[in-house]
Amino acid sequence: MSVKYTPVQWTKSKIAYDLVVLAMVFTYILLFIRIAPQFMGDIKPADGDIVRARAFGTCAFLLLTVILCIGPLARLDRRFLPLLYNRRHIGVITFLVALSHAAFVLNWYFNFSPTPRLEALLTSNTSYTQVLGFPFEALGILALLALAVLAFTSHDFWLSFLTPRIWKALHYAIYPAYALVVGHVALGSLQSQSDPTFTIVTAASVALVCGLHVAASFKDRGNDPRRQSEKTDWLPVAKTAEFQEGKARIVRLDNGDRIAVFLHKGAFSAISNACAHQNGPLGEGKIIGDCITCPWHGFQYRLTDGCSPAPFTEKVPTYALRLEGETILVSTKRNPPGTYVEPVPLLQEGN
Amino acid sequence: MTILLLAEIWLYIGLAVAIVFIGYGLDRVEENARGSYLFRPLLVPGVILLWPMVLSRWMTVEKTGYDEIRRDRPLRGGHFPVWIVLAFAIPAIFVGAMLIRQSPPLTGDGAVQLAAPDR
Repeated sequence: MSVKYTPVQWTKSKIAYDLVVLAMVFTYILLFIRIAPQFMGDIKPADGDIVRARAFGTCAFLLLTVILCIGPLARLDRRFLPLLYNRRHIGVITFLVALSHAAFVLNWYFNFSPTPRLEALLTSNTSYTQVLGFPFEALGILALLALAVLAFTSHDFWLSFLTPRIWKALHYAIYPAYALVVGHVALGSLQSQSDPTFTIVTAASVALVCGLHVAASFKDRGNDPRRQSEKTDWLPVAKTAEFQEGKARIVRLDNGDRIAVFLHKGAFSAISNACAHQNGPLGEGKIIGDCITCPWHGFQYRLTDGCSPAPFTEKVPTYALRLEGETILVSTKRNPPGTYVEPVPLLQEGN
Repeated sequence: MTILLLAEIWLYIGLAVAIVFIGYGLDRVEENARGSYLFRPLLVPGVILLWPMVLSRWMTVEKTGYDEIRRDRPLRGGHFPVWIVLAFAIPAIFVGAMLIRQSPPLTGDGAVQLAAPDR
């Protein structure tokens, strides 16, 4: 969070998460190198560098599939949320695995000639106007560049410096990168595979990733609260009886802002629904102590003033509330981040 | 190769920007970086790749400071249109590539070793 930056903010759970991912990557690559050559259908046994290039390439593709499935899975079922917390580390591992794949390819297929390897890679096939025999390597290079940008900007500094909005837009590059990788695999390796296993795996990955993202998108749209006009100063949120202790109801303004109105310890408080870290949905978080905990990465904010507890310094805007009869109304005017607002008790005098 | 030359120039400029930004600019624009040095080498590749964006952002923060409002205005609504397009485009790429294969993908037809031509 907003303490002095360190190279990696390790916690016990993050170390365990990374160790499990690394163990799975090493196991997959070792098993692939030992077992897969028997099923590749090559006329002559493949050279070690070719097998290693295939092992790292398929591993990067599977890791990318996993990364792309975690987000929608967590939105469809909250039990997958813990996988989301450290997803950035899998992203960095994926980039390193993909880079190793590229290095093995360069050191074998584009080596042993007087032409420099990178130049050979870019000039050996320039049939960009035909589909059959398309230079699929170019798709891989673009995807690797996109993965590099994501890995190199994965430190929290970049989130803060670029702002979550720009950072998130930059990290949308993971989606076209996946399309490029599918093109790279389908127009490259899958054109000559005699064993159908990896063709089936690729088809399953495409179906899974596309299916989950479309399902999560529809669920998000279904859950998104109706836009409310800001022309009035106060907007109705819900009847008090519709609130559940410890839970929020979310109001959406015309300008796109979402306000999370919580009932906590018998009183109402309202803060911005967007976490200051990566704009995670605070209204779907859990209240621990007097703080709401973001369901994405665990950042916390006090409900009364939108401030993170010390030593952290993140702040989100707060909103004024008032009770009119049995209806809770929220002010459409946001307070500056960190402004204290007195909670509105559920049972006011005279009620 | 013009593209490799341009990439090389891009990297050299990026390296120069990285040295100036991480050595001098970082402390000016990022409070949490002051007194922290171990994490700085991790920023070098990112600055080299994205140096125009870094320079632009650095100038903005120097001129106007951080815009607190922008920090909690999430980028929303992009996911749905992106995936409506990709959910058609990605399977189309895959199926299209399988259709142009010289042998159907699931038949198990392997590569054929051609006989050497008669001399």
